[in-house]
Amino acid sequence: MKKKEIILKAENVTKYYGQEKVLDIEQFNLYQNAFNFLLGANGSGKTTLLRILSLVDKDYNGQLSYCGKEINKQESELLNLRRKFSVIWQEPYLYNKSVADNIGLPLKLRKKSKNCIKNKVAELAKELKISHLLDKNSKQLSGGEKQKVSIARALITEPEILFIDEPTTNLDYKSNQFFNELFTKLVAKGVTILLITHDLYQIEKLAEYITILKQGKIVINEHKEQVLNEGELEGNNIIGQKLVFA
Amino acid sequence: MGYIWGGIKQAIALIIQLDPEVVEIVWTSVKLSTISTLLASIIGIPGGIAVSKIDFKGKYLFDTILNTLLSLPTVVVGLAVYSLISYRGPLGQLELLFTGKGIILGQVILILPIIVALVRNAIHEIDDRIYDTAISLGATGTQRFRLLISEARYGIMGAVVAGYGRVIGEVGVSMMLGGNIRRVTRTITTAIALETNKGRFSFGIALGLILLSISFIVNFLIYYLQTGDKE
Repeated sequence: MKKKEIILKAENVTKYYGQEKVLDIEQFNLYQNAFNFLLGANGSGKTTLLRILSLVDKDYNGQLSYCGKEINKQESELLNLRRKFSVIWQEPYLYNKSVADNIGLPLKLRKKSKNCIKNKVAELAKELKISHLLDKNSKQLSGGEKQKVSIARALITEPEILFIDEPTTNLDYKSNQFFNELFTKLVAKGVTILLITHDLYQIEKLAEYITILKQGKIVINEHKEQVLNEGELEGNNIIGQKLVFA
Repeated sequence: MGYIWGGIKQAIALIIQLDPEVVEIVWTSVKLSTISTLLASIIGIPGGIAVSKIDFKGKYLFDTILNTLLSLPTVVVGLAVYSLISYRGPLGQLELLFTGKGIILGQVILILPIIVALVRNAIHEIDDRIYDTAISLGATGTQRFRLLISEARYGIMGAVVAGYGRVIGEVGVSMMLGGNIRRVTRTITTAIALETNKGRFSFGIALGLILLSISFIVNFLIYYLQTGDKE
């Protein structure tokens, strides 16, 4: 088992909500070109950590590094890095525009030409089988359709790191399978994924690196095989058990 | 009842014939109200956004005062501005009394709280997820602000239209600060009051019908804008 390079590292990261410390991370490694899973009970700090790692939240103490270089909190540097990342939120927010405009928005923000945006949107929508939604207003979509559109919007910039927060909550089984395959293909193409999920099937099938959070602290941040070797149980049972105890 | 029907018939004839005096009064009203609304919007829209986004000491008191000002009686605004711009007032040298500019000043003060409060509400109603989403999509600070405005566009336009509806139909400010001077400051509402008193009932009805039509259009627009973001 060859360990992959670390693309994003968090050291001594703490986060407070008022007086309460909700995150206390000594060290967290996000492995490059790998399927990293972030697990933990509700309220363990998964989404808080994802918001910090994706540079959406800069109100924290501690140090993040990207490819070995420390990230400072200057807006220009953060913006450059954010544009290499994409986030798929658990409850996606779509703007009050057409689906095509929503998907193309990240490219518009990067000042790409109208033609380029139009072509990329059409291409991606076809790949994700949502071409029939392009002319609809985002307010007319179901929960599952909104999630698919938000996935397309996140992928259109071809991000280096894709942060995904429980993406399958609103999706049916078939769509679930489709996106699991898609995410696997992305990793094969070199994308780094950090996925928050409670889905043991996904963990068993897709996870390469596993991080378990417990009350804001990291219990495990290792390769899945290493996690499995630590216990006597096989398959996802060991992870499931660790999760239960987390 | 006969004289009412007779008045209505004559009023309709005045409108259809585009009676020059009616046209002039309507034009003055529309012109002054449009300028007042534009000026109040230029101040009120950024003001409403600032009030919704910036926390400061005494904000609760500020919001309460702002809400109180929503129902400002027009004659009170007229009186307050009159005391400022009358020849003995601190702004008397500007010679704004009984001019269109005087009316505009009063109308801006009248609807500024309405636009600020409604824009504030429109921004408050926006889903908080818009901010995280915009940041994660790689928006710059300016682009985030534009996205915010774009999402609140129906509420903001509704605030502007509501302000317009308030000034086009007000009489207190126009009467006290404009003086109802023919061809200068005579607006629809002040003309209705004057002409009806003079016994030109049909003329008053004609202006009343036009004002009613404008109010209908304004309310239709407000309804449309309020439902526009719930397509």
